[in-house]
Amino acid sequence: MMSRAKLSKFILWGALGVLAILVLYPVFFLLAGSLMGNDELERYLGAVIAGKEGYVNFPLLPQYPTLKHFVEIFLDSPEFFVMFWNSMKITLGVLAGQLVVGTMAAWGFAKYDFPGKKGCFLIYMILMLMPFQVLMLSDYLVLDGLKLTDSLWGIILPGAFSTFPVFIMYRFFTEIPDSLIESAKLDGAREWQLFVYLALPIGSSGVIASLVLGFLEYWSLIEQPMTFLKDKSLYPLSIFLPDVTNVGRSGMAFAASVITFLPAVLVFLGGQDYLEQGIMAGAVKE
Amino acid sequence: MGGIMKKPYRLTKARHAKIAFNHKSFHGFLWILPSLLGVLVFYLLPYADVVRRSFFGAVDNHFTGLDNYRVVLENTAFLLAVKNTLRFTIFCIPALILTALLCAVVLYRSKYGGIIKSAFLMPMALPAVSVALMWRLLFHSQGIVNQWLTHSSVSGTDWMNSENAFWILVGSYLWKNLGYDIVLWMAGLGGISQNIYEAARVDGAGEWQCFWKITLPNLRTSFYTITVLSFLNSFKVFREAYLVAGDYPHESIYMLQHLFNNWFRSFSFDKMAAAAVLESLVLLLLILLFQRTLEHSDN
Amino acid sequence: MNHKTIKRITGILLSVLLVCGTLAGCSGKEQEEISGSANKNTSGTNTKEEAGERAMGRFLEEEMDTGVVFGNIYDMKKLEDGTLRILGADGDNGQKGAWDSKDQGVSWEKAYDFPTELQDSDEGYMEYAALSSDGQAVCAYNQIQKGSGVLSVLYLLDKEGKGSRIDYTFPQSSGESSMAKSFVVSDDDLEGGPSEDTNEADAASEEDTENTGKSVSNLILGIQFLGNDQILAKDMSDTVYQISIADGSLKHTYEFDGSIDTHQVYVSGKKMLVFTSSEVLLYDTETGEQLPAEETLQKGTAESGRFQAMDSINEGESVYGLASGGLYHYKFGGSVMEQLIDGSMTSMGAPSFYPIALTMLDEQNLLVAANDGNSDSPTGIALLKYTYSADTPAKPDKELKVYSLYDNREMRQSISRFQKEHTDIYVNYQAAMSEENAVNVSDALKTLTTEIMAGKGPDLLILDGMPVKTYIEKGILKDVSSLIGKDGDYFEKILKAYQDEQGQICAAPARFMLPIAQAGSAYYTPGQDFDSLTENKGVFAGMEPKPVVEKFWYTCGAAWQKEDGTLDAAKITDFLTKLKNAYGEYENSMDDMDMTVGFTMDGNTEEIGKVSFSYGDFDLAFGRTNINIGLLGKLDYGMMSAVNKKLQDGDYGLMPGQAENVFVPSMIMGISSKSNQTETAEQFLTYLFSQESQKISQSGGLPVEKEAFRSVIDGHQYRDYESLVCVGSSGDNMDEVLDYAMSPTPEEEIKKFTDLAESLTTPALRDDVIKDVVSEQGEKVLKGEISPEEATDAIMQKVNIYLAE
Repeated sequence: MMSRAKLSKFILWGALGVLAILVLYPVFFLLAGSLMGNDELERYLGAVIAGKEGYVNFPLLPQYPTLKHFVEIFLDSPEFFVMFWNSMKITLGVLAGQLVVGTMAAWGFAKYDFPGKKGCFLIYMILMLMPFQVLMLSDYLVLDGLKLTDSLWGIILPGAFSTFPVFIMYRFFTEIPDSLIESAKLDGAREWQLFVYLALPIGSSGVIASLVLGFLEYWSLIEQPMTFLKDKSLYPLSIFLPDVTNVGRSGMAFAASVITFLPAVLVFLGGQDYLEQGIMAGAVKE
Repeated sequence: MGGIMKKPYRLTKARHAKIAFNHKSFHGFLWILPSLLGVLVFYLLPYADVVRRSFFGAVDNHFTGLDNYRVVLENTAFLLAVKNTLRFTIFCIPALILTALLCAVVLYRSKYGGIIKSAFLMPMALPAVSVALMWRLLFHSQGIVNQWLTHSSVSGTDWMNSENAFWILVGSYLWKNLGYDIVLWMAGLGGISQNIYEAARVDGAGEWQCFWKITLPNLRTSFYTITVLSFLNSFKVFREAYLVAGDYPHESIYMLQHLFNNWFRSFSFDKMAAAAVLESLVLLLLILLFQRTLEHSDN
Repeated sequence: MNHKTIKRITGILLSVLLVCGTLAGCSGKEQEEISGSANKNTSGTNTKEEAGERAMGRFLEEEMDTGVVFGNIYDMKKLEDGTLRILGADGDNGQKGAWDSKDQGVSWEKAYDFPTELQDSDEGYMEYAALSSDGQAVCAYNQIQKGSGVLSVLYLLDKEGKGSRIDYTFPQSSGESSMAKSFVVSDDDLEGGPSEDTNEADAASEEDTENTGKSVSNLILGIQFLGNDQILAKDMSDTVYQISIADGSLKHTYEFDGSIDTHQVYVSGKKMLVFTSSEVLLYDTETGEQLPAEETLQKGTAESGRFQAMDSINEGESVYGLASGGLYHYKFGGSVMEQLIDGSMTSMGAPSFYPIALTMLDEQNLLVAANDGNSDSPTGIALLKYTYSADTPAKPDKELKVYSLYDNREMRQSISRFQKEHTDIYVNYQAAMSEENAVNVSDALKTLTTEIMAGKGPDLLILDGMPVKTYIEKGILKDVSSLIGKDGDYFEKILKAYQDEQGQICAAPARFMLPIAQAGSAYYTPGQDFDSLTENKGVFAGMEPKPVVEKFWYTCGAAWQKEDGTLDAAKITDFLTKLKNAYGEYENSMDDMDMTVGFTMDGNTEEIGKVSFSYGDFDLAFGRTNINIGLLGKLDYGMMSAVNKKLQDGDYGLMPGQAENVFVPSMIMGISSKSNQTETAEQFLTYLFSQESQKISQSGGLPVEKEAFRSVIDGHQYRDYESLVCVGSSGDNMDEVLDYAMSPTPEEEIKKFTDLAESLTTPALRDDVIKDVVSEQGEKVLKGEISPEEATDAIMQKVNIYLAE
């Protein structure tokens, strides 16, 4: 019995390990690619990128590791910094907006009652699930009317009012016990004080969770900047990548991928705890 | 056993009596007002425009009534896209949710769980463009996967130009979202009080019984959130599909977004708007149905 | 617990990193803002006026009618005494000399003729010459050494034209030449009798080749005065020599490593400016040391393009430069590179414009000598004067937006001419798929769609590569049937390729391309049909697979569409099977050439290139391929007949295909129905179909107007230069040489081409979506990866979705 249990456990873990390696393979792939010289890359990838005979062959350790591509990006591509900063502006701008507007709305939905609330929330959910392409033209027309096209605000503002964080944080705020609120009220707390001193601190992990997800979303935004921005000096990092995806510059593409990947992964790792607590915690606590 | 049944193991959903918390309705509205204004301007206004367009011609703006809807419903490309999108959703979401649950249950008890879980999270942080680049290198007819296959004497195929494209897309979706869902499930698991399990064990319940009678019922609310989020994320695979295979991929992965995209390019706003309204109606129905089902099983 | 701490630490690290990143971003941003604001300053035509009210002031262009027709200009300079001097060649007799102007370039008088040893002859020819500000001239004369190539020697002429040789011998070149790879045009002596011409020319060119092959000695590829007593000369290996003219002693040598291509060397005071492909290097000529780079100049020229001509004032403190973007001014140490003239509003922006020399008369007047094949000058050498006019609006009142996917040189040329005649109209031309814009067609079209729907779209569209039929159906384009076909005699079938049943024409090709095939009689005879051509196994061997499919897609695709709008699968299978048969086995050897195709989604920034007819003529002539097929957008009859001669029994004719009498419409013009300045758009469109615009030829297509068609194919520009010989060479060692006399096209050939054009009735499908699918799948078939049937299935599947949408 014992050994069978052990065996099955072993198999289970083995499977998980294999799965984890499979999942991580592309990540290693990118890392390795970013450290290879152009010659090496061309040799390995020639079959796909240059239409050569044979197959792509890709070892996970570069033969002659080099940081050349990173140097190229950091030193020789001033536009990279501009794009990096644009991405930062967009992402942080959106997150700041969500932090203010989104939390308030989530709080309102969670703890207040007013006519049409259910309908409102339903609309929020449907809007959250609408593909971008559907609203693209109309969005553009609205932004154009507000003179927001070709400006980072045209990306930031709609992002700040996105309904997704409301959905995430709403679930969280509902779980703050009413008794707590009532007693705070009895102590003479005003409504905004309830929100600032009670809801936000208790909900911090939920708020952070939503911000982490928001970061990922807006860090790798593609469609919106492509549609709403014409001025190339406003482009964010996420659409810089396809630019360098050609022969001779594929190394740079790999390096750029890694650089784009890093902030996201750091945010993710850093926010992981909150992600867990935030999204679910309230929902299941006694 | 009987004892287990009687005990209210499932935590009562924290249903907080909003009525008891009686604010004036006006106040609640104030809280969501800023958001609502933004949503109104940036989402509802455009959406209203889409609804209006669904009744008009694409460029010349003459009223066409329900013509656009009829045209769309007869359009074979639309039907194909709907079929594919449904097929994809039906395959993916249960597969993702179940795999993630399985991994979560295993990982939850282990001390290395955290690290492996972090590993699973990595793909989520990869930018879509990099993923597309990877996919090209992997599944090209001269790509890495085929190179592996040459070792095992299986002849390779042009992955993205065959039925396999669909499965690659499914795989891509699972790969990208598995970690995310594992985290969500684990959070759900973490919320179940150990006392319940102990009590159940005292009553002689086995592992499986605990799982069926305690774990699953207690994960119900998590299930709701996870499903909605997984559904939302299922739309995002389009980015990779588009970046890898372009406007006209293999017909098995031709999704609604491809169609919307192409309609957009060819000024078919009439059809697009009608299809979008149809889609939102379906979404509305799905959400309502889903909520209702959950509430039913709640009672 | 441990794991948690790790994560916490990661979290902290992350925040630190992010802050750092953000700071780095910040500083990057500030820089950007500086240059950004600089851009804003320079983007207008003139910065002296503050924005706010309508900015006034613009340089106006005027082509000088000088009375002298220059056959060439080597240099032009304002001398210390205020006289303007030109070193050039007389357009009538080729005599080289110097001309002076005392009235700011209005009239010119001969100052002196060059000594006879500097005139072109069998012994050599003059390539470069430069002027100093005290009127001295230095000339680089290439002596043809019997048997040992060409030798550059330097001559110094004083102000009166008395010459002496500078005693300096250039070292033999060891490095690789940065000279253009594929042509040498030898302008043979014009005095020789016509009967001897060909022989002599042949002999000379053979000699040239030998030399090119082995023993070309060093050649000077650029020369400049440095002050009045030294010169700078650049040689084939891009080394720059600083030589004293008094005794020929070498002061300094500037060498660049092989990775840098130096393109232009200029002098500004004591500084030497070297424009490489990516940088502007500065040197102090007194010490020979390199100076720190000027950031602003560097950035500025990165945007404006390299300076192609330069002048400096104030002891070299300030420089004026001509680049493709227009005229720029930069003061050393300054933070702004100022754009004085927007190239797109003058002939400077035209693709045929190559500046030779720039002379600032004062701050508000300047002269430019340029080689511009589309100028009024019969030799193409034009003298242009630019005068600042303070009461002309900085930008013309009306702005017309023209949009295309691919850059169209005929359009640029037409715009340049049109604007000259209509100074109140500014034509803003934008090509979406330019080199620096790495977007794919689909995304470009989506952006276009949004802009048109938002009412901010272009007024005029070049529809090449766009879904023309869909646009017409959707009502995006205005009917232009009343505008076109009025100003001459047109190929009606071609002009009205997009006419609908009601007689409306919403899109009309301003040009067209002929699908042409050329080969020896063993492989092709004119008039042959597709079936018999492709029966010959291996007839397409040696060609790149994808272009073959693409070329035949043009002549076959038009026959695929069935009446109900769907595609005929049997025809596609037939097409692919026959192509595969004619192609034979695929050999991988030529793939190395294909390095430019990336794995971006859509690598084609240039639409026509590999499918053009002229792409394959050398391959055919030297036996690498059996047949040359492709789209002919500009007739180089000399080349075609030379290939025929080389093949001995070569001939050319229409390219066969499943459809018959196919032409490829190009530069398909349409006016946006959402345009709010229809009248101006119509005016410009009418101009594009006028004879004047139609006669412009930049290889992007043949005119649809018959008179203009004749004028671009008849070779009339060679009429007075019967002895010109064109020598083309290719191959690894430039050892494949094809030479031919440039002469007017024979009358019977003109008639043959005209008849061909008249016979064309079927427009090729120009839908890029279908084309891309077909060429992608077809390539796989030719490479032997999949069977024609599989490919047909894939094509049908994708195209059917497309058609169903």
